[in-house]
Amino acid sequence: MNAIITNPIFLVVVGTIGFAICAPIVGCLLAGLERKISARMQGRVGPSILQPYYDVRKLIEKDDVSVNGADGIYVSCALIFTFLAGGIFYSGQNLLLCIFIITLAVLFFIIAAYSTRSPYAEIGAHRETMQVMAYEPMVLLMAVGFYMATGTFNVGGVFFLNTPMALPLIGILIGLVFILTIKLRKSPFDLSYSHHAHQEIVKGITTEMSGKTLAQVEIMHWCETVLFLGWTGMFFVWGGPAFLLVGIVAALVIWFFEIWIDNNFARVKWKSMLKWAWLVALIAGGLNIVVLAFI
Amino acid sequence: MGFLLLFPLAVAVILAIVRNGAARRVIVYAGAAVIAVASIVFVGMHIGSTGEYYEFESEIVNIVCTVADFVIAFIVAFLAWRYKKWMALTLAIVQAALAAVFVAGGWEAMYPVAEGLYIDSLTLMMAAIIGVVGSGIGVYALGYMDDHHDAHPAIKDRRPRFFGLFFLFLSAMFLIVFSNNMIWMFTGWEITTVCSFLLIGYDQNQISVTNAFRQIVMNMLGGISFCCALIYCGVELQTFSFIEFINIGVAAPLMVTVPLVCLSLSGITKAAQMPFHTWLLGAMVAPTPTSALLHSSTMVKAGVFVLLKMAPIYAVSFIPSLMVVLIGGITFCLCSFLAISQSNAKRVLAYSTIANLGLIVACAGVGTPEAVWAGMFLILFHAVAKSLLFMCVGTAEHHIGSRDIESMDGLFQTMPRLARYMMLGIMIMFIAPFGMLIAKWGTLVSFLEAPTPHVVLILLLAFGSGATFLFWAKWLGKLSGIAGNPDDVETTVHSSEWIGTSLMVVLCVICCVAMPFISDIIVRPYIEGVWGQYFTVLGSDNLWIASICTIFVVAVLFGALGRTSNKKHVGVYMAGISYDNDQRKFRNSMSGVTTASSRNWYMETLFGEQAIDPMGTVICIGIIVAAFIIGILSWQGVMIPGIPGLM
Amino acid sequence: MPFASKSPWVIHYDASSCNGCDIEVLAALCPGYDVERFGIINTGNPKHADIFLVTGSVNERNIKVVQEIYNQMLEPKVVIACGVCACTGGIFHDCYNVIGGVDKAIPVDVYAPGCAVRPEAIIDAVVQGIGILDEKSKALNAKKKGA
Repeated sequence: MNAIITNPIFLVVVGTIGFAICAPIVGCLLAGLERKISARMQGRVGPSILQPYYDVRKLIEKDDVSVNGADGIYVSCALIFTFLAGGIFYSGQNLLLCIFIITLAVLFFIIAAYSTRSPYAEIGAHRETMQVMAYEPMVLLMAVGFYMATGTFNVGGVFFLNTPMALPLIGILIGLVFILTIKLRKSPFDLSYSHHAHQEIVKGITTEMSGKTLAQVEIMHWCETVLFLGWTGMFFVWGGPAFLLVGIVAALVIWFFEIWIDNNFARVKWKSMLKWAWLVALIAGGLNIVVLAFI
Repeated sequence: MGFLLLFPLAVAVILAIVRNGAARRVIVYAGAAVIAVASIVFVGMHIGSTGEYYEFESEIVNIVCTVADFVIAFIVAFLAWRYKKWMALTLAIVQAALAAVFVAGGWEAMYPVAEGLYIDSLTLMMAAIIGVVGSGIGVYALGYMDDHHDAHPAIKDRRPRFFGLFFLFLSAMFLIVFSNNMIWMFTGWEITTVCSFLLIGYDQNQISVTNAFRQIVMNMLGGISFCCALIYCGVELQTFSFIEFINIGVAAPLMVTVPLVCLSLSGITKAAQMPFHTWLLGAMVAPTPTSALLHSSTMVKAGVFVLLKMAPIYAVSFIPSLMVVLIGGITFCLCSFLAISQSNAKRVLAYSTIANLGLIVACAGVGTPEAVWAGMFLILFHAVAKSLLFMCVGTAEHHIGSRDIESMDGLFQTMPRLARYMMLGIMIMFIAPFGMLIAKWGTLVSFLEAPTPHVVLILLLAFGSGATFLFWAKWLGKLSGIAGNPDDVETTVHSSEWIGTSLMVVLCVICCVAMPFISDIIVRPYIEGVWGQYFTVLGSDNLWIASICTIFVVAVLFGALGRTSNKKHVGVYMAGISYDNDQRKFRNSMSGVTTASSRNWYMETLFGEQAIDPMGTVICIGIIVAAFIIGILSWQGVMIPGIPGLM
Repeated sequence: MPFASKSPWVIHYDASSCNGCDIEVLAALCPGYDVERFGIINTGNPKHADIFLVTGSVNERNIKVVQEIYNQMLEPKVVIACGVCACTGGIFHDCYNVIGGVDKAIPVDVYAPGCAVRPEAIIDAVVQGIGILDEKSKALNAKKKGA
C-alpha cells in the first residue's frame, strides 16, 4: 500500500485530478479578482468577482459550431495537458517534465489556431509561436537554476532547503517575472491574445474559437495562471509545508505586480519582445547560473 | 555478423548488374527484407550485451581494405580530373600518399589486431538502425526513383548504380560499427564518403556536381585526419585496436591528445558540424532516399558514433573535449537559428540534422555516462524520425510539386495520411512526450550533472531549444490547415513508399512508447559495459509518463482527428464579405476578389544565413585550429600554464 | 439557468452611419460608463459576440457585410438597431443606394430610435435585448436536450 502511495506515477495521477478540480476554481477567482483590481486601477467599479465563471458558463451554453471540427479536439488536448502539467508540479514531481508538458499544451493550442486557416487566427498563432521562442530559454534556465539550488529536479525538493531559493536565484527570479508577463498574456507582451480589445487584431489566436472551445481556452488560461504562480511561489518556500503560506503570499504579490504592469504598458512589437526576453534571460538568468556554477 | 557485412555487398553487386526494373524490384524487396530480419535477429540474439570481442584476423581483409582505400582515392582523383576540381584532386593525392606512407611503414603487419570484430550495445543499436531503417528506405527508394525519373526526364537513368551504391553503403556502415580494427573502420569510413559523393552527384547536372565535390573535399579532410591518427597510432601507440586505443586514452590522456583531436576532426566533418556544415546542405540535391539514409539516419551518425565511443577519453582529456563540446554546442544553437530562416523543407531538415548532431557531439565531448545515455537516445530517435520526415517530404514533393513549406498549406486534407505521418515525425523531433525531447532533457541533465556544469553548453541548449520550437511549430502549423474539401492527391503514391514510411512510423511509435525498455536493455548494458556501473538519468517513472502521453497523442493524431465532426460548419472570419471562404477569397473595396495569404515568419534579418553562417564558421575554425596547436604542443611536451591536462 | 444575460458580449458595426450614433454607442461602451460592471465586453469578433449593435442604414454595398457578421455569430444572438437610420433608413431612406433599415438585411430584435440615439435609449435597448437573449438561450437549451 505504502509503495503505491509513494509511487511517482500514482502521485501524478492524483495530482492531475486534484489540479483539474481545484485549479479552475482558484484560477477563476483569480481572474475575477484581476478584472476587479484592473477596474479599480482605472477608477471603475468593475464586474463581479464571478464574472469569468459567468462568461464560461455562457460560452458553454452557446451553439456548437466550428470552422473545421478539428480545432476543438486540439484545444481539448491542450487543456488536458495543462491539467497534467499542473498535476506534475503540484504533486512535487519533476519540474522539467512539467515545463515540457505545458509547452506541449501550448503547441496544441497553436495548432488549433493554425488548423482553421483563418488569416487572423494565423497571425495570432505566429505570434504565439514567437512568444514561446522568446520565453522558452528563460524557463529552461529556471529549471537549471532550480537544480543548482536544490540538487534535484523534483519540485518537492524545496521543502528540504534551509533558505528560500529566491536568495541564490535572484537573477533567475527576475528573469522569470519578466517572461511571466508573456506567459500570463499581459501587456506589453500580450502579442498573440490580449485581454484588451483595443490593442488586438480581431481576437488574435482565438479568433476562430467559439462556444465550448473558447470556454476551454478560458479554463486553460486559469489553470496556467495557477501553475505559473506556483512556479514563482516555489522560490519563496523552504523548510517545510508550513512555509507554503510565504510562497502563496509572495506569488500573489508578484501577480499583483504583473497586473500593475499590464495596466501601465501598451503592446510592443515582436522584435522588442524577443530582444528583451532573450537579453534578460541571458543576463539575469545566465549570470546567475555562472555565479552558482563557479562559486 | 559476417552475413550482415557480406550480404548487402552481394545484393549491391547484383543490383549494379541487373538492368531490368521488375527484377530490381524483387531483389530490393527481398534484399531489404532479409537485411532487416537478419539485423533484428542479430540484435535479438545479443541483446543486453556489454561488449563481446571476436578473435578475427585476416590477411585477406587487410589487403582488400588497403586496395579499397587506394581505389577510392583513385575514383575521386579521376572524377576530380574529369570535372577539373583541383582541390579535390589535391586532397585525393594527399590521401593516397598518406595511405602509401602507411603501407610503407608496415605497421599493419607489425601490430596486428587480434580481435578484429566486436559488438556492444551501442553497436547493436547502430546495427538495428542501419538494418531496419536502411532497408525501409531502400524499399521506399524504388517508388521514389520511378517518380524522380518521371519528373525529370532529362536525367539519365542510372538506377542500377544508385541501388548498387545504396546496398554497398549499408555494408560499409556495418563494417564501421563492427570493426575493432581501426584500419578496417577507416575503409568503411571512406566507402561511405565516396558512396555519398557519387549519390549526391547522381543527377550529374551543374549544381549536383558542385555539391558533390564540396562534400568530397570536406570529407577527404576528415579522411586525411583519420589517416594521420592511424599513422600516429602506428608510430606512437603501436596498436590499431579501437578498444585498446580507448583504454590507453583513458589511462594516459596526454598520449592520445593528437590522434584524438584528429579523430574528432574526422568525426566532426562526417557529422557536418560547423564549419563543415555546408556539405550536408549541398547534399540535399541528392535524391531524397539518399538524404534520408546517408545524410540523416546513418552516414552522418558514423561520425557521432565514433565520437560517442571515445566519450570515456573526452571525460579525462581536456583540450579535445573542449573542442568537441564547443563545436557541438555552437553548431546546435546556430543551426537551430538558421533553420528558422529556411522555407525549403529539405534545408530545414538538413539544418535540424546538423543541429541535433551537434547536440550528440556535445554529449560525446562531455563524456559522462549520463551524457552518453542522452547521446544514444538522440541517435536512435533522430534516425527514425528524421528518415520518416525525409521520406514524407520526398513523397509530398512528387505530389504537390514543391518542397517549399509554404506549399504544404492544407496538406492535412490533400494528403491526409502523409500529413499525419509528417506531423508525427515533426512532433517527435521537438516536443515532449516524444523521444527527441526526452533525450534532450537527458542532455540538459547530463550537462548539469557533469563534474563541472557546462554553463556555456546549457545556455546554448536553452536558446537553441527556443529556436527549435519556432521552426518546427510553424511547419507543423502549415501542415495542419483544414479548409473546404480539396481533392485527395495521395492515391497515386507508390505502395513501396507507403511501406517505407509506414515502417518508420511504426518504428517511431515503438521507440517512443518503449523508451523505458530501450533504456534498460540497450543503453544500460552499454553504459555498464564501459563504466562498470549504471547511473539513472531521468528515472523510469518520468519515462513511463512520457510513454503514456505518447500513446495519447498518437491516438488523437490518427484516431480522433480523422472523424467527421457533427458540429455545424461556419466560414472563417474575413472582416468583410467572403467570396470563397475556403480559399480565403474576399470582396475587396473595389468589388473585385482578393485572396488573403499569410506566410510564416522567416526573420531573415535576424536569423538569415548571411548574418549567422560566417560567425559560426569563423568561431568553429578558430576552435579547431587552437585545439590542434595546443594538442601538438602538448604532444611535444610544451607546458601551457592555465590549461588543465597540460600542467 | 441561462447565463447569457450575465455576460452579454457586444459587437458593433457601423453600416452607413453619419458617426453620430457610433459616438454614442462607443461612449456607452467605453470605460467611463463602466459597462463591464454588467459583464458587457466590446469584442471585435462576431464569433465571440452575443449582441450585434448596428448603426446606420443598410445600403447596396454593406448589406452582405451585415449579413455575414450576423451569420457568423453563434446562437443565441440578438440584433439591436441603434438610431433611426438603422431602424428605418432615417433621413437617408430615399438615397439612391439605400435599401432601408437593418431589418431589410437581418432579423432585428430591438429598435432604439433617435438621431443621434440617446445613451439612455441604448441602455434600455440592451436591457431589453438581454431579456430576449435569455429567452433564446432557454429555447436553444431545450432544443439541445430534445435533440
